[in-house]
Amino acid sequence: MPDLPEHLTKPFVNLLLAAADDKLFLGHRNSEWTGLGPILEEDIAFSALAQDEMAHASALYELAGTLDGRSADQLAFGRKGAEYRCAAIVEVPDEFDWATAMARRLFCNHFDVLRLERFSHSAYKPLSHLARRLAAEQQAHVQHVDDWMVRLGTGTPESHRRIQQAIAALARIAPQLFEPVESQDQLVAAGLYPGRDQEMYGQWCREIEHVLGRAHLSAHLDAFNPEDRGGRRGVHTVHLAAMLDEMCEVYRLEPDAAW
Amino acid sequence: MSGSANVGVHVDHEHPEVPGLLAEFQAKIDSGQLIEADDWMPAAYRKGMLMMAEHHANSEIVGALPEGEWITRAPSLRRTLALTAKVQDEVGHGQMLYRVSQDLGKTRDAMLRDLITGKTKYHNCFNYPAPTWGDIAMIQWLIDGAAIMNQKTLADGGYGPYVRTMRRINMEEAFHFKSGEDMVLTLMSGTKGQKEMAQDAFDRWWGPSLMFFGPPDKPNAHQLPPMRWRMKTVTNDDLRQRFVDRFVPAALDLGLKIHVVEKDDRGYVTSKRPDEKIALNNATGHWEFTQPDWDEFFRVIRGNGPCNDKRLALRRLSYEQGRWVRQAILCGSTSLPPAA
Ligand SMILES: [Fe+2]
Ligand SMILES: [Fe+2]
Repeated sequence: MPDLPEHLTKPFVNLLLAAADDKLFLGHRNSEWTGLGPILEEDIAFSALAQDEMAHASALYELAGTLDGRSADQLAFGRKGAEYRCAAIVEVPDEFDWATAMARRLFCNHFDVLRLERFSHSAYKPLSHLARRLAAEQQAHVQHVDDWMVRLGTGTPESHRRIQQAIAALARIAPQLFEPVESQDQLVAAGLYPGRDQEMYGQWCREIEHVLGRAHLSAHLDAFNPEDRGGRRGVHTVHLAAMLDEMCEVYRLEPDAAW
Repeated sequence: MSGSANVGVHVDHEHPEVPGLLAEFQAKIDSGQLIEADDWMPAAYRKGMLMMAEHHANSEIVGALPEGEWITRAPSLRRTLALTAKVQDEVGHGQMLYRVSQDLGKTRDAMLRDLITGKTKYHNCFNYPAPTWGDIAMIQWLIDGAAIMNQKTLADGGYGPYVRTMRRINMEEAFHFKSGEDMVLTLMSGTKGQKEMAQDAFDRWWGPSLMFFGPPDKPNAHQLPPMRWRMKTVTNDDLRQRFVDRFVPAALDLGLKIHVVEKDDRGYVTSKRPDEKIALNNATGHWEFTQPDWDEFFRVIRGNGPCNDKRLALRRLSYEQGRWVRQAILCGSTSLPPAA
């Protein structure tokens, strides 16, 4: 078993769960579009992205499970609401609005690439290996959403107005992606999550500004306020409970059964 | 989910065709050559093939809906991923079949509009409800199983673009069927509640599966244009018998019981009794079975099934919600990414 100080196991599991939960619920929200996308070709492409997110979540749950003792399914389906570590931006519904779906991916995907980059330098080798494997797909995801920003931002006046509105609405909660999990500074100090939040935040803002500039769009992003307790510490929007009820509808009928 | 091209092809003979060309066309078909989009073809053939491909395309994208509703409720990570991929495949089938249809002369937008306004139809079986996870297992097992049987024969047809699309689609359908089989097997080897869930779902889907191949054939089916022109190669009743021969013993092996049922307007079973006809006829080598309720079939096909309105409403919502996106792409300076 690779080196992981006993007292850091729980925070480290929470860090993995934060990433896995973000991906699971982003994938979940995006999978709602499968079969209903605005264009058949994009329906197919977007579903592939949703599947990638859920597959990545699954791999991260497996890894967390080796430390935590639970199976990937138990972690995904079997926790109480307050045990989830996802950020608010993956919880809110998109009301079947393509602009909201895309704006969400803009903030999440750029964040994810930067987080995976930090993971890929983790002293915990199973994580660094996994992160390198997932990074290539994440790059494609960023490309996809960046292209859509330009397409919608420079499409029609209506598409410009809609995507700008969605970006402004989600920009208010997007910085909560940067909320640290409990004892994150110790994980950073131990090299388990190397890099600095401040730098990562700066990079994230620059990337988003750059894409939006090309698309004739803009976003106002405030830094995360450490006083705010949010999803990374188990404080969730009302939407998470609703999503979990739906997701676990069958699972909870017979939690110990094979499905 | 899967569509069937089992649409009645109504060929009108008003259009006079050049007799030489028609004979040449028929000879080509009879010799097993494939007709290509740019080849000469009788107007009735073009119309019939378009109807068939368009109906099949519609069925794929409407068929994505009942299972799509269950993606967010699938009970494990593995099932969630498999179901999402499966529904995505069906959308892909729709996309390929709309392309075949487009080449026969109708724009995609016109086809989508005709679908949501009820001018064109889709496969009848998607007008039934899928109220439990068991229904998702049965759809993938029975309906995808039926679709493979049908589409394998369509892959022997005479129209090149459609035949090639069937071959591609069938590879994916085989995968859907396998996963459906695995889902049913898992339920039937599970808890009491899971077995009941599977049996109840089987009772809901057995009838629609038998109806999948279309109504009983006219006595002269082999002489009518759809078969004479190899738009289809096997009759509805022959396909249905093949299905029964394959699935009755499989269902019995799994411990499922085959019932004759009555349903309410919502498509839920109100009463059931064992299908006493179920038996292997040693003289013919075929399984006997009770025909499904054909009155119900025609009622549902005319638009009065349990879920017709719901399915169309969702397709309409998708069409309307996506309009501004499509306009942005048409008017914008950038183009769509290539299809995945
Ligand atoms: Fe299928
Ligand atoms: Fe299909």
